[in-house]
Order: sequence, then structure tokens, then C-alpha cells
Amino acid sequence: MDALSNSNHRLFMAALAMCLPPSSIIVSQESQRPFECDGLAVYHQLPMVTVLPETLGQVQEVLRLCSEHGVPLVPRGAGTGLCAGAMPHAHGVLLVMTKFDQILLIDQDTATARVQPGVRNLALSEAAAPLGLYYAPDPSSQIACTIGGNVAENSGGVHCLKYGLTVNNLLQVTIVTVTGELVTFGGDGLDEPSMDLLSLVTGSEGLLGVVVEIKVKLLPRAPRVQVLMAAFDNVISAGDAVAALIGQGIIPAGLEMMDHLAIKAAEDFVKVGYPTDAQALLICELDGTDAEVEEQLAAVSLCFSDHGSYQIRVAKDAQEAAALWQGRKSAFPAVGSISPDYYCMDGTIPRGQVAHVLTRISELSQHYGLAVANVFHAGDGNLHPLILFDASIEGQLDQAEALGGDILTLCVDVGGTITGEHGVGLEKMPQMPYQFGDAELAQFRRLKAAFDPSDLLNPGKGIPTLKYCQEYRSLQHA
Amino acid sequence: MHDLTPQLVEQVQQARAEQTPLQIVGGNSKSHLGRATQAQPINVAGHSGIISYNPTELVIRARAGTTIQELESVLAEKQQRLPFEPPQYQGLATIGGTVAANQSGPARPWFGAVKDSLLGLGLINGYGEAMLFGGQVMKNVAGFDVTRLQTGAMGGLGLITEVSIKVLPQFNVNKTLVCELNLQAALKQMQVWGNLSVPLSGMCYWQNKLYVRLQGSVAGVEETCKVFCKALPLVVLEDELAQNFWKKVTERELLVAQEKQIMWRWSGPSSAPSNALDNTEFINWAGSERWALTTVSDATVVNPHVTQYRGGDRSHNVNPSINAHDQALQQRIKHAFDPDGLFNVGRLYSWL
Ligand SMILES: Cc1cc2nc3c(=O)[nH]c(=O)nc-3n(C[C@H](O)[C@H](O)[C@@H](O)COP(=O)(O)OP(=O)(O)OC[C@H]3O[C@@H](n4cnc5c(N)ncnc54)[C@H](O)[C@@H]3O)c2cc1C
Ligand SMILES: Cc1cc2nc3c(=O)[nH]c(=O)nc-3n(C[C@H](O)[C@H](O)[C@H](O)COP(=O)(O)OP(=O)(O)OC[C@H]3O[C@@H](n4cnc5c(N)ncnc54)[C@H](O)[C@@H]3O)c2cc1C
Repeated sequence: MDALSNSNHRLFMAALAMCLPPSSIIVSQESQRPFECDGLAVYHQLPMVTVLPETLGQVQEVLRLCSEHGVPLVPRGAGTGLCAGAMPHAHGVLLVMTKFDQILLIDQDTATARVQPGVRNLALSEAAAPLGLYYAPDPSSQIACTIGGNVAENSGGVHCLKYGLTVNNLLQVTIVTVTGELVTFGGDGLDEPSMDLLSLVTGSEGLLGVVVEIKVKLLPRAPRVQVLMAAFDNVISAGDAVAALIGQGIIPAGLEMMDHLAIKAAEDFVKVGYPTDAQALLICELDGTDAEVEEQLAAVSLCFSDHGSYQIRVAKDAQEAAALWQGRKSAFPAVGSISPDYYCMDGTIPRGQVAHVLTRISELSQHYGLAVANVFHAGDGNLHPLILFDASIEGQLDQAEALGGDILTLCVDVGGTITGEHGVGLEKMPQMPYQFGDAELAQFRRLKAAFDPSDLLNPGKGIPTLKYCQEYRSLQHA
Repeated sequence: MHDLTPQLVEQVQQARAEQTPLQIVGGNSKSHLGRATQAQPINVAGHSGIISYNPTELVIRARAGTTIQELESVLAEKQQRLPFEPPQYQGLATIGGTVAANQSGPARPWFGAVKDSLLGLGLINGYGEAMLFGGQVMKNVAGFDVTRLQTGAMGGLGLITEVSIKVLPQFNVNKTLVCELNLQAALKQMQVWGNLSVPLSGMCYWQNKLYVRLQGSVAGVEETCKVFCKALPLVVLEDELAQNFWKKVTERELLVAQEKQIMWRWSGPSSAPSNALDNTEFINWAGSERWALTTVSDATVVNPHVTQYRGGDRSHNVNPSINAHDQALQQRIKHAFDPDGLFNVGRLYSWL
């Protein structure tokens, strides 16, 4: 998409100034700098203009203006995304939704909450806590990321093994369409006689509309939560233990795995008492009534020791449980502290393939000469290999991206997917034609056009164009 | 046990060439649902069989014509189950039709709807292209969620050829508790208990009685049973009676419409008052799903939560009305899949 001509640019900016207060418009390069990228900082771009509207009417007006002038628009929440989904468009508007930070209602009777999109994920659980309720999807970025961003990415977290992703915890979403209209999907019941549009907009990465209000399901806090940690002297056994546990029909609330490099980094970073000699660590959370948890705890411990765990530590109290989790939740920044840069991948594979894929990743790591730390949602088979590199060394970023690409295609080859929760954004566009055929990609494009015929919403992300795919295929055959 | 995908693709392509509208027929078990339409049947029932089943991955992948009965019996051999507990409709219901019609049973509030267990599917669109979306893994956010979009679409976006479903282990124990209670008190109690973290899998109200189903581990069920029995004079229903009762709820055989009667289904917030639906006869899903019977003459769809589920004039719209802007959006989505309007035109809405 081209830049507006000078005169059209003036017209557009004047119109924008008519519908937004001056404090909501940022044009200087300096002030826009913090918005030039999301959590995947290697992709960055300054927008034409950044806006931070305060009212729904302003959001609608901004979209109407963009439609009228053919200006691209990129929605943004907290910018913690890891796929360059919120990276601005050089000739477009960056629409920042953080001022919509109100929890509109928490209804104890129905255990639901209505929130604005800029509400931080953790803020909702904190607000619901006095009622004994919480919001289940808990990305590790939950202190910062917004619920609007969670809806746009269909985010997961350590508890989605038992309680599902964002899509499984939504009741209603209202969006503003590209023409500025309000549309609500879902309802206040458990279903509707309609195609499931609520699920369609969930995970649509800002390509179909701007999320302006969300109604979510809240869950009751379980009477008892028990965390345990199991150490293994090799990743294969830990991977097999995960597959065996789930295969037995035990679904913990969370089941996370870290490999040696990640364990060491986390322990150095937060000192929670992880065994640094372990080659793999499983962190498992069980919840339910007292009796249920007791029963499961015995079964889980048995399964882990049967699969070779040499040390099992059951948290004695909430404090110790929190410490065990803290190590896991700080794993990304911890790895960040031992390497100048790291690149986080997000493939998902069948659980039974965990051991095989980890072995293959370590071979790839050797081949490229870049270390890889693994921290991931083992229960779901959702891998997060963290590729360590140094962007200041010529060629290392390209190497890291090439290694990452190989890991993603490996995930597809074993029957998995290129992204389990972080989304495609700009980053994973090259792998889309590997996972999908031409007919599916064309179907995605027609679906996009049904919402956004001029391709103004977050263009160039999520769904590759026909031209992109043709170039990809010709390269494959070359 | 046949893969008829090539034949189905050919039939769709031929229908496209001849511009012949089709109605997708699975087990023909839910012909009472949706609006009455006339079109050439395209039969999916023969396209059946389990493609893969890996009990330790908790995933089953089957062709759309596979019956729910077959799926459930294959799963039962490995002590597993479909989490959304769909009706079998005398063994006729197919998994394709179940997904299209979004049919979930009494465990819905606790174990989710069809969409919550759906991992991926195959779809033939109106261009006659066979496509695959989603997959067999637990988490997958690549591309738009075309998979879950199909739930409730009643086949209007294309013909589902196969589905992949997340399954769960069967429960160790089942226990059903019953007591007499007035409607208001029952609604309140269902709401309070429904929001607890306990092994519940069903709560309904039928003929002045509250029915509570507990399923899970032995210890968890026993513990909860004690707590609940302290609050209300509940008695344990004998196993066989309990099984029959929940089977009837699942199969929608509890409340039966007589000739000339209309069955109304209300789907809304569990906190809604007892008069949210006139003539309520049966309450399911801890108050979130309510059912009523009326005579034909009362028939109008006015309440945004109410569907004319069965019976009555089915040439007008039987689902709640939708504003013009939303209609246009749904029409564009249908067009994106089915540009010539081949599939189940008018089944969900007259305008779709
Ligand atoms: C000759 C004939 C005439 C009929 N006439 C009428 C009529 O006038 N009015 C009427 O209401 N019904 C009519 N039906 C019944 C209706 O078309 C079927 O009942 C249909 O709902 C499929 O039955 P089923 O048991 O698989 O559906 P369910 O399995 O009950 O399916 C429910 C819904 O899902 C759709 N569906 C089923 N399988 C798939 C799939 N694989 N992919 C996508 N969508 C799917 C169906 O089209 C239907 O909308 C007729 C059926 C036949 C055979
Ligand atoms: C340390 C760290 C740990 C993380 N851990 C996890 C994890 O465990 N699980 C997980 O799933 N993710 C994780 N993430 C990724 C990220 O936090 C999530 O994707 C999150 O949902 C993004 O929310 P955000 O508000 O920051 O959105 P942004 O990054 O601002 O935007 C993300 C995408 O959503 C779109 N968007 C944002 N708001 C709206 C809106 N209102 N309407 C329409 N579109 C919108 C943007 O255009 C963009 O495409 C992690 C990130 C970091 C940095």
C-alpha cells in the first residue's frame, strides 16, 4: 500500500484531529519510537501516525476515516506479542487500545466478566479474586498483555491444558468493523443458532476488526492447588512421562517442561531451588477438591518416578508453589539474561512426538552452531524453543531465523502446527504456505475480504497474499 | 468404512456446473431442526469410518458420516468419551451433522460444547475444493479458525468431510442426586453449585425435582456428595434409573412434543428469572438451557434467546432475528465459502 499524497495526507490528518483530542494523536518520530515494534523487536517500523483513542465513538470514527481514505490500520494492545503482529504499517495508523482499561462488570451469579480490551490479563484475575473467581487463560506475559490482545491472538497459558485457550473462555466479543460499525458475536447464553463467528474473530490477529468489548467466563478457585516438580536426567524420559501421564487420563491444571539450559538460566535468574544438574524438569499443577488432589498426586508421582524421575518435590505451601512457578514464568527473561538476544518459537506437536522433536532440535542446534533452550507447555505439546544468538554478530540473526524456520517445518512434518498460541503475524508468513495448501489460503483470503474488502486491517500479516504464495511455491520448485 | 471424498467433490462440482442447490444429509436425524428447505440431497452417511485413533494422544479423527454411536463405542473400548456428550438419535446421528448442528449434551456447562473439543476438520467448499483446517494437535492458531466457524452453521458453509476431536477419559464413578424443590429454589441452587469447583457434569430441573449428576474420581464425588446432601435432602438415584434419565436428557426425549405442539428452546444466562421463558417445562445446563411447549397458535419467535426448536410452521424464520448489518456480514461469509449458494440455502435463516 502506498503513502498518501501530500495533500491527502494533510486532509487525513486534519480529519483525524477533528475526531480525537490532541493528546490522543502522536506524530513525532521520537514519541512514536516505543510503538515501533511488539515483543519481537527484530521487526520494527514507525507508523505514519499513532492514535490512542479514549471512547468507542473515537475508535469508530478513526476506522471510518481510514476506510474513506484507504489508510491501513494496525490495532495494538500492550505490544507484548511475539510475532510482529502489532508492528505498525509505514503508511498507516497504529491504533493503541490501552486507554480502554475498564473492567465494566464482574457478575458473581453467572461467574462472568465484561471488560474493555485494554484491561491487563492479570488485572482481571486480581479484581475477581475477592469473589473466589479467576480468569483461566494466563499467558506468561499476563502482567502486561491485554485481554483485547489475548482475543486477537487466541492466547494460551500454563493452565490451558485443563481450562482451554482464550477461545474456550469467551462468551461474547464486540468488534468495530473496518467501516466503523459495531458488531457483537456470541451472547449471554452458552450457544447461539448461528455459525460460530465468536470463534472466527478469536485469533484473527486484528485482521477482521478491532475488539472493543469482551465478555469472559470466570472460574471458581479450586479448594486445593498442589504444585510439584520432578527432575529427570534426560529429556526423552521427561517427554515420555508427559505422554504417559496424559495417556492415563490424568489432565493436570498445568504441565510444563524445561530443559537443562532453561533450568540453569531460570535458577541463576530467580534462585527458586531448581536442581541445576537436571537435564529436564517437569512442573505440574493439580487442582480440585482435597480428595481429588490427593488421589491425583499419588498417581502423578508414581508415573514420574516410573519414568525415571530421580527427584520429586511436592510444594509444602503456597509460597513454595509460587516459587516453583516463578522459575518457569521468568524463563524467557532468564534466557534473555544469558544471551544478548533470543528468538522464541511456538510450534505445537502431538505429545507423543516430544522426545523425537527435542532430539531433532538439538541436532539442528548443533548444525547451526546456535544454542537452543526449551521451555514449554508440555501437556499440550506446545514447544517454545528459545534460540540464543547475538544480533551484533553479522549473519547470526539470519542463522537464528533459518534455524527457527527449520524447527517450524519440523513441527508441521510430525503432524503439528507452526504456531500454538503466539500467532502468525509478520514473522511466520514464510511458513504459512508450508502448513496450508493453496485452496485453504485462498479461502482465508476470501474470508478476510468478507470483513475487509480493501485489505486495510493489519495488511501484510497473518494470511499471505496470492502473489506471496506463488513466489513461495516457485522458490520451492527452483 | 469408505473414503468417498473424491465422489463428494465430484458431486459438488457437478452441482456447481448445473447450479443445482444441495442439501447435505448426514444421518437424517435432525431434519426437525432449522427451516424446511427443498434441494437435492447429497449424502454423507456412506463416507464413514475412523481415520485414526490414538488413545494416548486423546485424539480421534473420523470421516463425517461416522455415527456418534460408532465413535462412542470405539472410545468406550479404551475407557474414553466425547466430552460434549452429543445425542445419538437412535444411532443415526453422524459426527458431521453433530458438528454442523452444534449439538451438546447435559455436561455442556462443565465440559464445553462441540467447538471446545474440535481440533480440525475437512471441508468441501462451493468451489468443489477439498480443504483441511486445524489438525490433531491441542493448540493451533495458524490462519483463521475455519474449523470452529462450522459449528452451528448447519452445513451452510460447505460439506464437512472429516473431523478431529479431543477426547477425555471416562469417569471413574457416576452418582445422581435428586430431591423435590420449587422452581425458584432449584434455579438458585443450580447457580450456586454450578459455579463451584466440584466434579459436576449435569444439573437439571424436571417435574418439580432437581437432578444433580456428579462424575469424576471416587474420592472427589464422595466428598462433594456429602457437602451437597448437607445443604438439601438429596437422595441417590439408583444407577439404572439415573442412566436412563441422563440418556433421555441427552437424546432430548424427556420433553416430548405432541402433535400440533411447538417445542421452544431458550439459551441464555443461568441467572435469568424463572419466567424468562413462558411455559417452561424443563431446565438443563444449570439454568442456561430451558425448554417449553406451546400449541401452534402461540408461535412467534420474539425473544432473542429463543429458538422454535421443533414443530410449527417451519417456512418462516425459526431462529431469533438478526439486524440487517449482521445479516449482510453473514451473507458475505457464506459467499466467501459458497459463492453460488449451493449448500443448505435457507436452512438456518431465510436470508442465508
Ligand atoms: C429426500 C430428503 C428430503 C428431505 N427434506 C427435508 C425438508 O423438506 N425439510 C427438512 O428440514 N429436512 C429435510 N430432510 C432432512 C435433512 O436434509 C437432513 O435431516 C439433514 O438435516 C441431515 O441429517 P443428519 O441426521 O446428518 O443431520 P444431522 O446429522 O441431523 O445434521 C444436521 C445439520 O447438519 C448438516 N450436515 C449433516 N452432515 C453434514 C456434513 N458432513 N457437512 C456439513 N453439514 C452437514 C445437515 O445438512 C443439517 O443442516 C430431507 C432429507 C432427505 C433425505
Ligand atoms: C515474556 C512473554 C511471555 C509470553 N507468554 C505467552 C504465553 O504464555 N502464551 C501466549 O499465548 N502468549 C504469550 N506471549 C505473547 C503475547 O503476550 C500474547 O500474544 C498477548 O496476547 C498479546 O497481547 P498484547 O496486548 O500485548 O497484544 P499486542 O502485542 O499489542 O497485539 C497482538 C496482536 O493482536 C492485535 N490486537 C491487539 N489488540 C487488539 C484489539 N483490541 N483488537 C484487534 N486486534 C488487536 C494486534 O494487531 C496484534 O496482531 C508472551 C509474550 C512475552 C513477551
